[in-house]
Parts: sequence; structure tokens; C-alpha cells
Amino acid sequence: MIAIQTEGLTKRFDNGRGCSDVSITVREGEAFGFLGPNGAGKSTCVKMLVGLIFPTEGRASLFGEPIGSLSARRLLGYLPELYRYQEWLTGEEVVRLHAQMCRLPRAEADRRVPQLLERVGIGLRSRDRVKNYSKGMQQRLGLACALVGDPRILFLDEPSSAMDPIGRSEVRELLHELKAQGKTIFLNSHLMEDVESLCDRVALLNNGRILQQGTVEEVLQQRPVWRLRVGGFAPALLDWLRGETGLAFRLAASEPDGSAVLEAELENEEQAGWLHALILDQGMTLYESTRAKTRLEEWFVTELSGKSHRGEKA
Amino acid sequence: MTIILRMTWKELLRKRVLLLTLFMTVLFLIAYWFIASAIGGEVHRYGLSPDDPQLLVERYSRGMFIISLGFFFGAFVVAFLSIFSSSSVISGEAELGVMQALMPRPLPRWQWYAGRWLGYVSFGMGYALVLYAAILGVAGMHAGVPRDMGTLFIAYLLFASVVPLLVSVSMLGSGFLSAIGNGVFMTMLYGGGWLGGMIDKLAAQFASLQETVGGSLATISGLLSLAMPADGLQRTMMDRLFNMDALRQFTGIQVDSLMSMLGVGSAPSPAFLWYALAYTIVAFVLGIWRFQRKDL
Repeated sequence: MIAIQTEGLTKRFDNGRGCSDVSITVREGEAFGFLGPNGAGKSTCVKMLVGLIFPTEGRASLFGEPIGSLSARRLLGYLPELYRYQEWLTGEEVVRLHAQMCRLPRAEADRRVPQLLERVGIGLRSRDRVKNYSKGMQQRLGLACALVGDPRILFLDEPSSAMDPIGRSEVRELLHELKAQGKTIFLNSHLMEDVESLCDRVALLNNGRILQQGTVEEVLQQRPVWRLRVGGFAPALLDWLRGETGLAFRLAASEPDGSAVLEAELENEEQAGWLHALILDQGMTLYESTRAKTRLEEWFVTELSGKSHRGEKA
Repeated sequence: MTIILRMTWKELLRKRVLLLTLFMTVLFLIAYWFIASAIGGEVHRYGLSPDDPQLLVERYSRGMFIISLGFFFGAFVVAFLSIFSSSSVISGEAELGVMQALMPRPLPRWQWYAGRWLGYVSFGMGYALVLYAAILGVAGMHAGVPRDMGTLFIAYLLFASVVPLLVSVSMLGSGFLSAIGNGVFMTMLYGGGWLGGMIDKLAAQFASLQETVGGSLATISGLLSLAMPADGLQRTMMDRLFNMDALRQFTGIQVDSLMSMLGVGSAPSPAFLWYALAYTIVAFVLGIWRFQRKDL
């Protein structure tokens, strides 16, 4: 079943920002990573999906219910990126308030609220006022609020950005647990390792438009990169290889004894054998040849390099 | 909606708005006690016998002055409490990020809005009742005050009616303006209405003004009162509480000169009350309409 469907979703702000023509499909139980540099329009998209802002054009639905409708909002839990809870309430009261707004029966709330506060790691501080919480604790509280209505879809906008490494690891573990329970997760994060370990599919947004989307395997394997450890290397040979093959080569490491590590970006895996032959023909020794596993972070940087974006840098 | 109403009350209690308001009110009432005692106590120095009707008139006119003084202050307190408790409710909470977590919940936006409105209005009207009773109580200990329960009830309703009026306009403004901007806007708007009332009272005081520029002043005063009817409602309240027309005709008390700038001027017509009611309803409905469409 399709959990999230958007068609040409567009939001134009007066300052020219927003997002354009965003079309994505997320299936039930999938974890979807929504990536992009600062100011790309990710939060704008999420805010439209949860009903905080209204689209200028396009349409979207959550499990077939139009976004913003009460029926759609009953299905979701949301942890915003920039938010603050009522600092005059205690952590427990905040979660109870969200439980009431989700129409959770009192008995159910009595059972669920302490359990959730314990699960996100603020059980001992749940009776403290929120104004005494650190940013990381507020983020944990936000997770509890997002989960209290037992939502089918979770929208998480930078869920662990303010947390220490232990907190991040706990959140990662919690998200894996939720995914295993069949929850649909829409994760907007700059923490690529979290996205890579959790998400089935990703989309990359830049300047409000989707540049690429697909499964994590698909986007990472678009260009196979081979790492070649060679002996008898000379810098001139690198230029020769570039000229002869037309491929992108990078010198990853080199030693005075003539050994070096080269990285070549191939068009397809079949080119690997030909490349090996060329290296041997040039009198180099090939010690090791492995397919480099591209990380999502490298893919992110590569895809955006040379492109203007609306964040800090033009 | 009751969830939001309860949350609003909890907010006002936890943020110590109620406590601070009550504390400052007590300070005011202590000062007011001494003022009322000074003004009301002086009646006995005239050496009038307790049976002399003149003593009754004197006590009543002193009471009017004391009460007018109390409500002059009380009107400001109730107005500013209404304005500042609600002026940042939408834009302020959106700027802080409080709304981002709450509004995706399956609660219709109009219910959230109405819950907040009810919270502020019930708080403001409750406080207005306490202040109203306290002012009359203190004044009654030192001078004559109206005792007719019907009159007192209607006067209370008029006194407290500025609360829904100002909260409705303030919440509407909060849907368009920033928290600070709305606070400034509301203060200026309320000040404009108050100025309209003052112009009216001035014109009633000085016959020379009435003769020369009375028409122009009445127009300006009327327009300012239409722009913000809060002061007009307060003047209507005083008019009903003291039954000013009857006093002017039958007792010989020079009410306008006695009460000076604390007086009523020309009391707004009954149509003005309907206008103020319509103004409140329109502001409330427009506020909901705006909030339903606002990007948060």
C-alpha cells in the first residue's frame, strides 16, 4: 500500500524559496530518506505533508487521505526541526497533551506515556519543567510526542541533530525498531550514516527540486568506483590513463617507493578487466583491485558538487 | 477545544500571569482604599445631620467620583490584560516553534483557536468580575454606591465585554502581525478609542468647545470609537451604573463637572452596543478564517 504520494507538490514563498514539482511515492513500511543541502526545501515539503503549510500547486496524500485533512493527520507523528514545547509544562504533561489531542483513551495514555518517556530516555526527568531540558532532551521529548498516538507514518525532521553520540545511537536503534514494527518513516536528516543504515529509498533535493531518487543501492551504484593498489607508479602514468580511457581517475594515496592507490570511476563493471590490462601493459604491478563501496555522504557531495544551492554557498 | 481551554488556563497559572495580576491588583486596592477613605470620609466634615437628604446626595456624588476613579484604572488593567495575554498567541507561538509540534495533531484549527479564545476570555472576564466587585466594595465602604442588582449585573457585563472584544481583535491581529507588532498595534488601536472617549468628555466639559468645534469633535470622537469601541463600552457601563440621565435631571448633581475626565461624556447609544457586538463577532470569525489559511 502506498503511504505517501505526492504529485507536482509545489510551494512558492514570496522570497522565491520553497519547492517545486516534488513527486515521490513511499510505500507502507518503507523508510524514506529526504536529503539535500541547507535551504533545499526539505522542511517545506515535510511541513506541507503534515498540514502546517498549504501547497501552491500539486497534491499529496497519506494512505489516500489528502494532506492536511483530519483523517491524514490522525495517521502521522511529527518531530519538527525547529520547535519548542510549552516550557511551563513538565515533559510528561507535554506528552499527555499530545495524547489528548490524538484522542488517546485515558487508560491507554496512562500506560503509554510513561513507557514512551522511558523509551526515549527521559523517564527520570519526566516531572521536570521543559524549560529545564537541554536541547537534546527536548528532542527526545519530541520523539515521545511524535510516537504517542501510535502513528502509521513518522515524519522526522533532523531527529537527532542536537543529541550526543550516545543519544544518536539510541535514536538510530529506536528507528530501526519502529521500522521493524512496520512503521513508515520519512526521515529528513543530514546524518548520512543514519540514512544509509535505515532507509530503503532516498531522494535528493536541491533548490527545491528533486535531483535524484531511488533505492539506496541504486543511487550508490550508479557509477562503480574501483580502488587499485599498484606498484611502479609515476605521476605521468595517471595522465596517460586518463587520456587513454577517458575515465575519471583520482590518486588516493602514493608512497615514495612507487606504490600508490588509484580510484577510477567506471562506466560499467566490464571496464575493470580492460583497466587491469592497461595498468599491466604500462609496467605497473597490480597488487589489489577492489570495488570501492560508495558511501551516501560521498554520493551526496558528488551529486551536489559544482551545483549552486540556496544554503550558505552560491 | 476543552483540551486547549485547559491548556490556556494552565499556561496563565504556570506563567504566573494570574498571580502577578492579583498581586498588583491587591496593591492597587490598598492604594484605592486610602483614596476612597480620603474622599468619602470628608463628607462628615460638612456637619450635615444623618437625616439630611443633602448628605445622601453628597455621599452618592462622592461615591460616583470614587467609583469612576476605580473604573478609570480598572478599564486600563482589564484592557491591557486582554491585549497582552493574547497578542502573541498565533505569531508568537509560530515564531517560537510551539505550533509546529501541535498543529499537525488531528484537531481542527478552528477548535484550537476557539479554545484559546475561550481561555483568554474566561480568564479576563473572571478577573474583571473580581476587580469590579473589589472596586464597588471598597467604594461602598466609604461612600454611597448603586445597590440594584440588575443594574450592577448589566454594568458588570458591559465592563467585562471589552475582554471578548479586545481578545478577538488581538487574536485576529496575531494572525497577521508579529508578536511585538501586534502588541504595538493593539495598544495604539485601544489608545485611539480611548482618545475618542476623552475628546467626547472634554467637549462635554467645556461649553466654548461645544459651541465652536463641537461638530468636528463629535465626528472625530465617533470615528475613533467606531475604530475601537472598548472605551465606548466602558462609558456605557458608567452611564448604566449611575443612570446618568436621571441624575442630571433630578438630583442637581453636576455629574460632568464632578467627574471631570473620569466621566461619561455623551453616552453611546444602544445601537453602539449592537455595533460593538457585531465588531467582536466579525473579529472572531475573521480570526478563525485567517488562522485556517495561515502557513505555520
